[in-house]
Amino acid sequence: MSQNKPYFFQSFTIVMLSIIALLVFKKFLPEKIFTETVAAGKNVVVDSTMLEAVEAAKGAPAEKDTLVNTRISFEATNGIKFPTEDYEDYKGFQHLVVFYEKLLQLETKQQGKVRIAYFGDSMTDGDMIVKDLRASLQARFGGEGVGFVNITSESAPSRSTLTHQFSDNWKTQSYLKIKNPIKPFGINGHVFFVKRDTVNPVWVKYKASRLSHLSELNNPTLFYGRSGNTKAKMQVVIGGDTLIKKLPASNILNTVNVADGGIKSFKANFIAADSIPFYGFNFDDGKGVHVDNFSNRGNSGLPIGSFNTNLMRAFNDKLGYDLIVLHYGTNVLNYGSLNYSWYEKRMAKVVDHLRECFPGVAILIISTADKSTKYGTEMKTDSAVVPLTLAQKRYAVQTQSAYVNLYTLMGGDGSMVKWVDEAPAQANKDYTHFNFRGSKKISDLIYKQLNDGYVKYKKLRGVTTPEPVEPVEVTPVRPVRDSFKIATPPVQQPAKPITNPAAKPVVIPGKPAVVPAKPTPIPAKPAEQAKPAPKKVAKPDSIIKKDTVNAQ
Amino acid sequence: MQLSDFLPQITIDDVQGWFIYDPKAPILFNTPLFLGLFLVFYGIYILTRNTFRLRLVYVIMFSLFFYYKSSGIYFLLLLLSSVVDYTLSYFLYREERSLQKKVYLWFSVIVNLTFLGYFKYTTFILDGANALLGADYTFNRVLLPVGISFYTFQSISYIIEVYRKEITPAKNYIDYLFFVSFFPQLVAGPIVRAKDFIPQIYAKLQLTKEDVNYALFLIIGGLIKKTVISDYISINFVDRVFDSPNSYTAFENLMAAYGYTIQIYCDFSGYSDMAIGVALLLGFKLPTNFRTPYKSASITEFWRRWHISLSTWLKDFLYISVGGNRHGSFAGFLFPGLFFCGLIIWGINFSHVSNIPLFLSIGGLVVFALSFLLSKDKERTMFTNVNLFTTMLLGGLWHGASMLFIIWGALHGLALAVHKLFNEIFPTKKDAQPTFLGGVWKVISILITFHFVAFCWILFRSRDFPTAIDLITNISHVTFDPNQWQTIILGYKNVFILMAIGYIWHLMPEGFSKGLKEAFFLTPLVLKAIVLGFIFWLVYAAASAGPQPFIYFQF
Repeated sequence: MSQNKPYFFQSFTIVMLSIIALLVFKKFLPEKIFTETVAAGKNVVVDSTMLEAVEAAKGAPAEKDTLVNTRISFEATNGIKFPTEDYEDYKGFQHLVVFYEKLLQLETKQQGKVRIAYFGDSMTDGDMIVKDLRASLQARFGGEGVGFVNITSESAPSRSTLTHQFSDNWKTQSYLKIKNPIKPFGINGHVFFVKRDTVNPVWVKYKASRLSHLSELNNPTLFYGRSGNTKAKMQVVIGGDTLIKKLPASNILNTVNVADGGIKSFKANFIAADSIPFYGFNFDDGKGVHVDNFSNRGNSGLPIGSFNTNLMRAFNDKLGYDLIVLHYGTNVLNYGSLNYSWYEKRMAKVVDHLRECFPGVAILIISTADKSTKYGTEMKTDSAVVPLTLAQKRYAVQTQSAYVNLYTLMGGDGSMVKWVDEAPAQANKDYTHFNFRGSKKISDLIYKQLNDGYVKYKKLRGVTTPEPVEPVEVTPVRPVRDSFKIATPPVQQPAKPITNPAAKPVVIPGKPAVVPAKPTPIPAKPAEQAKPAPKKVAKPDSIIKKDTVNAQ
Repeated sequence: MQLSDFLPQITIDDVQGWFIYDPKAPILFNTPLFLGLFLVFYGIYILTRNTFRLRLVYVIMFSLFFYYKSSGIYFLLLLLSSVVDYTLSYFLYREERSLQKKVYLWFSVIVNLTFLGYFKYTTFILDGANALLGADYTFNRVLLPVGISFYTFQSISYIIEVYRKEITPAKNYIDYLFFVSFFPQLVAGPIVRAKDFIPQIYAKLQLTKEDVNYALFLIIGGLIKKTVISDYISINFVDRVFDSPNSYTAFENLMAAYGYTIQIYCDFSGYSDMAIGVALLLGFKLPTNFRTPYKSASITEFWRRWHISLSTWLKDFLYISVGGNRHGSFAGFLFPGLFFCGLIIWGINFSHVSNIPLFLSIGGLVVFALSFLLSKDKERTMFTNVNLFTTMLLGGLWHGASMLFIIWGALHGLALAVHKLFNEIFPTKKDAQPTFLGGVWKVISILITFHFVAFCWILFRSRDFPTAIDLITNISHVTFDPNQWQTIILGYKNVFILMAIGYIWHLMPEGFSKGLKEAFFLTPLVLKAIVLGFIFWLVYAAASAGPQPFIYFQF
């Protein structure tokens, strides 16, 4: 056979036959390879309460949505009544009246303080979204400090609003995996114990960031529960000073103040602290707005139902929550069925339980964001997203909670694909999570809706205040952390002058406990000097941003 | 069962979509659309094989259409730059006076670099200016025409080769346009040299059985590397970790670095292989672009095996132009000078935060200086190293407008200089007997080279400096924990299987690849078609695989 004979027609034949072969293969072979397996195992975080609920709900008949096309009217709270809403476009501002009134007191009279518990899943991991919301609120209403922080956290390295390190001899129990903890879970859904370790000390370390309103650890206070242990001590190292603090543990919830006023960083060593349930540290300056981020990767929201009512009331006495945000959904999307009535019912119970734990608190439900799945070879909005947002809206209506439809706010059908493909990208390639840019945008969307309600509230109440331009651009750069020092120039934000610790109001326990009674503001402090609005810093890292579009 | 069961349903909209540019779905060799278009194109091409001008015009039309499908209206830019370059080279070739020749040459090079600079670097330069001057000039984001980096370099190679009288220029504009627009290598290389390609235009078109076999073999390998391995591991693992390194464990960070190392090879070399294969089916031979680069035992060897068409281009037209290993030039010293100045200013700027940047910048300069001060022939080695460094800096910048690419280039330049010195101090004997110790040393050298390259890829891939530093910091925290590793590997089973296949395939001895090739050559025609069809299905099924759900580990 001659090797030099022209081979054109044979070549063409091969290409043509191969296409025919492809069409045949497509017909008989599976449509996709690499099935999307869900990993399991003891080290993989999954919400066991949810898995059980999914199992129990299997085979349940689909129920008709009885709320479609209804109009939702409200009863007056403190004489304020919002107009009737369409179910389709339900927001439920009425249910935020108590919260809005506290904001108003803060804004007009600089009186009182407002605290928000923001419960979430991996979306808010590393303080994403929440840090932006906190920044916007604190820039407008005042308040310093990151709020409540866990003892240990798997997402500590990705948290940019403070540096958080801990020894590896902590034993952690999380409401995600454990039904019956040794001691009840704290408000963060976790309880931490020291492991018996005679060699290595058990410690935690916190360091404030350089972000405005968060540049200090304000009044750091340890929260822990009851134990028979009377010998426990905490050794606190602040700079060159070492203090020893006893840890009496006779109450259901105990607090020990680490320092008065603001400090930059500290390390706490725990000595002979066996059997004491630790919860975390709180950092706030006692005025303005504080937002606690209680995020848990993999959480569906259902585990909140396991909160111990007495302990939560004790937390509420100390911290005084005005608003609870429930931002869940991502982890409920992947379980096959499009019938979410089981989730709706279970979450309605969770909300009822929260109202029992935190009497009088306002509740805001934030729906799942858009998420994409591959259909054929194209990424599209997952078919479970819309049914889930509907279920979330239904339980919001039923439990008299406010509601943010994040899916429609971010653009509805196909929006996640856009957020991922946009330049610069707003979301990650898993078509689920937002990056720091997208998180800021999400926070702005939530802030805007909250503020719309606030503006309406003020109108209904007949108050006029100048409207600030919002939302505030507070973190234009990736926050600088220790390890970034090499690369990022320091963020030039005005350092907060150190205030005299004695002049700060002490955290006053005892918050009005009954439902819509008008909040009694804490005796006035002289109004704080208006803070300079955080300056928009020129992007110092823009020179090193890069365009990978053509990076071949 | 009917024939229509097998055929896809087609609507008018689909047909329109075939011919109209869609920025969201640029045409690539691994798309079904290309397969369909190519079949039709190829049939007609074969019918025109015995014509000359008709065949060239036909291929040009298809190439321009192909470019339109991948870059929209920018195909006009390709036409414009080809007219300018052809005209200039025409006059250059006929010009005897040396000054005038130089003017033509420089004019052409500057025009080409201006196009490239405008489209690729405007935003980068403005950002830099804004950061330096504290100003805020904004500019509409300039869209980058696909492949402009490649065809610009190809055009420059043509004019320089005409200037150096290494080739006789194309006989007319059509022939030249055929060379510049030839669709297989238009978008992502290899960068074809005029002296390799122009003669093929005028030779009689030939296609042997051997050629076809080899072409199909390359296309099959390329498809697997690009679509199955690279695309899957990038979307399901590597991209995620590089998006937010701190959300992942240290081990996942390390695996993402290894993952990206094999991903970029598979992506780039896979696409090159497809380009070479497609060109070969048309009867044109393009140069090999990758020769299993991660088997290199030194960084110098790496650059002889990685993106060969670019590194030889840079060597012939940049390195030699700034003086090569003989003499220094202003441009040769300018870029390293600017680079080290900038580096030290940066270090001083940061000294109030941390001394590390200053140490790193001074350290870099000292190492670079030592690389020729310790050499016997100091002056000559200095010229060599400075010119080499310039080449690598600009080579880095060619990959994209970012400081990170420049630093990536600088690290490679530094490594090349250090390796040169090492070679001078410990010369390798040419025909030494293979010994056991020599074998061990070779393995160690390969591992060191590989890890250096992988480390540099982190900078290459990261979105910005903080991300790169996060990733590197996280990797430094890896501890030996087989249980944790096992859990993670099982969690991302598919990704790790593909990564392993990628690396094993890469590290197989050459004999294995040869054997595979021979086996493929011996299969009958129909079986070849079935294998090819199966690979097409594999590409389709891999592209249909949804992203793997997120996994959260807690240890």
